[in-house]
Amino acid sequence: MKGVFNKIISINLTDKTHQLIEIEDEIYEKFLGGRGLGVKLFTERVHPKTDPFSPENKLIFTTGPVTGTSVSTSGRMSLVTKSPLTRTIFYSNTGGMFGFSMKRCGIDGLIISGRADKPCFIVVDGKNGVTIKDASFLWGLNTEETYSKLKEMEGDRTHTLEIGPAGENMVKIASIMNDAERAFGRGGVGAVFGSKNLKAIVVKNGKQKTEIQNPELLKCYSKSALDKQKALPVTRAAFPLFGTAGVLHVTNNLGMLPIRNFQYGQHEKAHQTGGEAIRKEIFVKSEACYGCTIRCGRLTKAGNMKGKGPEYESVWALGANCEIFDLIKISQANYWCNMLGIDTISMGVTISCAMELQEKGVFPHKEVEFGNEDILIDLVKKTAYKQGIGIELAEGSKRLAEKYGDAETAIQVKGLEIPAYDPRGAMGHALGYATSNRGGCHLTGYMAAMEIFNAPKRIPRFTISGKPDLLVLKQNQSAVEDSLVNCKFSGYALGFDFHARFMSAITGLDFNVTKLLKIGERIYNLERVFNIAAGFSNADDKLPERFKKVAFKEGLSKNRVVPIDEMLEGYYKVRDWDENGIPKKRKLEELGIDFL
Amino acid sequence: MGIDKETFNSFDLVGKDLSNRGYNSSHAGNLSMKSSGKVIITRRSAMLGWLQPEDLVEIDLEEEDAHSGLIASTESNVHRNIYKLTDAMAIVHAHAPAITALSMIEDEITCIDGEGMLLYKKIPVVECDVPVGSYEVAEKVAPALQNYPAVVVRAHGVFAKGITLEDALGVLTGVEQAADIIYRVKLLKQPLKRDYSKEKGFTNW
Repeated sequence: MKGVFNKIISINLTDKTHQLIEIEDEIYEKFLGGRGLGVKLFTERVHPKTDPFSPENKLIFTTGPVTGTSVSTSGRMSLVTKSPLTRTIFYSNTGGMFGFSMKRCGIDGLIISGRADKPCFIVVDGKNGVTIKDASFLWGLNTEETYSKLKEMEGDRTHTLEIGPAGENMVKIASIMNDAERAFGRGGVGAVFGSKNLKAIVVKNGKQKTEIQNPELLKCYSKSALDKQKALPVTRAAFPLFGTAGVLHVTNNLGMLPIRNFQYGQHEKAHQTGGEAIRKEIFVKSEACYGCTIRCGRLTKAGNMKGKGPEYESVWALGANCEIFDLIKISQANYWCNMLGIDTISMGVTISCAMELQEKGVFPHKEVEFGNEDILIDLVKKTAYKQGIGIELAEGSKRLAEKYGDAETAIQVKGLEIPAYDPRGAMGHALGYATSNRGGCHLTGYMAAMEIFNAPKRIPRFTISGKPDLLVLKQNQSAVEDSLVNCKFSGYALGFDFHARFMSAITGLDFNVTKLLKIGERIYNLERVFNIAAGFSNADDKLPERFKKVAFKEGLSKNRVVPIDEMLEGYYKVRDWDENGIPKKRKLEELGIDFL
Repeated sequence: MGIDKETFNSFDLVGKDLSNRGYNSSHAGNLSMKSSGKVIITRRSAMLGWLQPEDLVEIDLEEEDAHSGLIASTESNVHRNIYKLTDAMAIVHAHAPAITALSMIEDEITCIDGEGMLLYKKIPVVECDVPVGSYEVAEKVAPALQNYPAVVVRAHGVFAKGITLEDALGVLTGVEQAADIIYRVKLLKQPLKRDYSKEKGFTNW
């Protein structure tokens, strides 16, 4: 198929071998690339009961037909593995330059399995092929140091994925960093890297381009997409000027910015940590992924430290959610998470869980209290190195709260900490958390875009009727976007038909919206049946009790709770799953899934 | 989950707006939305400007049922097929005058104003031997809506899709506005000073 190379490199770290695998066109036509291709290859090769830290678990990195083309926001790539945090199948994606550079090496992805006997790193060289090298000299370094060393050693034009000490120590909320500044953040994927004694992957010297069926037509569509991005204030101004942290003002005003571990929905000091404050106080310059005109990334300087971010989710998780509003200290904690390789969302929500447990008198560390900004960085470091209190935090909020006999204090779904949109403020988004195949994730269905930001369309945020239908549509759309691979932010400006147009121009095949949505549905159902075979059921499609029973008393989201059971019933019907949340046989047959 | 008050309010609001604009005669046009695997649609000959709760009926998404045959909108088969074949979550149908007039002389309508170019670019026109309510309309309209937000049935009217009824209304009024501008420019009988649609390659859209 045009737009892809039909080639994946499979690397076994145990015996240090690698082989080229040919992927048939039919697989791309059914799963596109990126997340879809990763899920297909993963479910064929990994048993659902596999221990995430065993050599049998795999890390599958993939690009898609759109990656690295003239389409704006196409600089992304995908990862699929089994998460040690959630124990579900786990998809994640990242921007930056790595995906584009890997594709330039003439491959669509990497499958990494096995476990090296000592620390190693992989070099994928567009000229000289794959080599596995000793990483003893890198082990123990943080992600910035690792990135610098690798650039020094492998050349300035290399791009890297690397873990920090958190990944090495198999911290269950460890991330994989990308050129030390972007991340495969969630689900503890960095710990899977660490479990394989894999410190980094380097790509370099790629010069190959995929063939595009109709470059002129793609140019026309890309230009139209850019026109839309230029016209819409979100992509034209809000994200470029204020980054994703600009969102904080909106959620706070709507009374759905989680405060004190989701006990309140707004705070008078929250604006001190929002996008405007970041712009005014610590902003150095904005930055973009490959081929992106939105430029939502930012380089900042907080006190004596410099680094990337903080993004909205990070500034909230390490800030307002812990009732901390010191922008400098929050930003520095964010830098440390990036350097040590920890997911900022899970770190912040695990800390806020510990703070609430302490407030309830069951967690024996008095200093871990809401509002204490002086402990933030120390807790991040202790978590990364699994020292003292960090040993418990390294397990994530679910295991922490269960250990202290108060499971409901952990604000998570399937073990993944819920991010910065309180479910009581947006009902479709709430249902999205409960039904996401990777747990408490805001991007799997991202209903907040419509319910909060009117993008690309406005829907009322408290309405229940029709929300299951809309969420299923959004989840299927997201699975497609993750498979092309294209950034979620493109959806703020573009209708979904753009993706069909891009795909048709790139591949020469006849893609339309309906065909793409069927592919999204296939991916979503395949993930679901894998999770069911791994032991998950409808009992795991649930939200923490406070969202069902406790309403906010103030603000624009007051007096609302989430009728999750009612919405779930509708959701299963729309999905054509039975009342236990298991896809019906006819649905799987329709989608061509024979997994179970 | 049934038809709740908020859902009825959406139908009521959209129906009144269409009526106020004069896009339909008193008992014409129809609206629908998907809900928990079913379709909620207006009753046949409902007065969109004066909807009552009993004017909304729930029909099966997959096949004809008693409701759709007996009391649901004449165009229920068209709505059903659109839901089956596209990403539509809501549909608004009206006999908007400017775009219906243009459909009689054009095979597709290419927007020439800024808003129309940004949002729609082109609106396809489909032709049917029986342009109202027939299976032919259902078979031709749905595929055309796969990559476009609205389609005109020649000599009949527009079907617009959206995420919600309000969204579909926005599309329908938007394409009618774009068509009205073309209509007025045609009345001026002057060449365009700048034809953006040609510059931006809309012929490929």
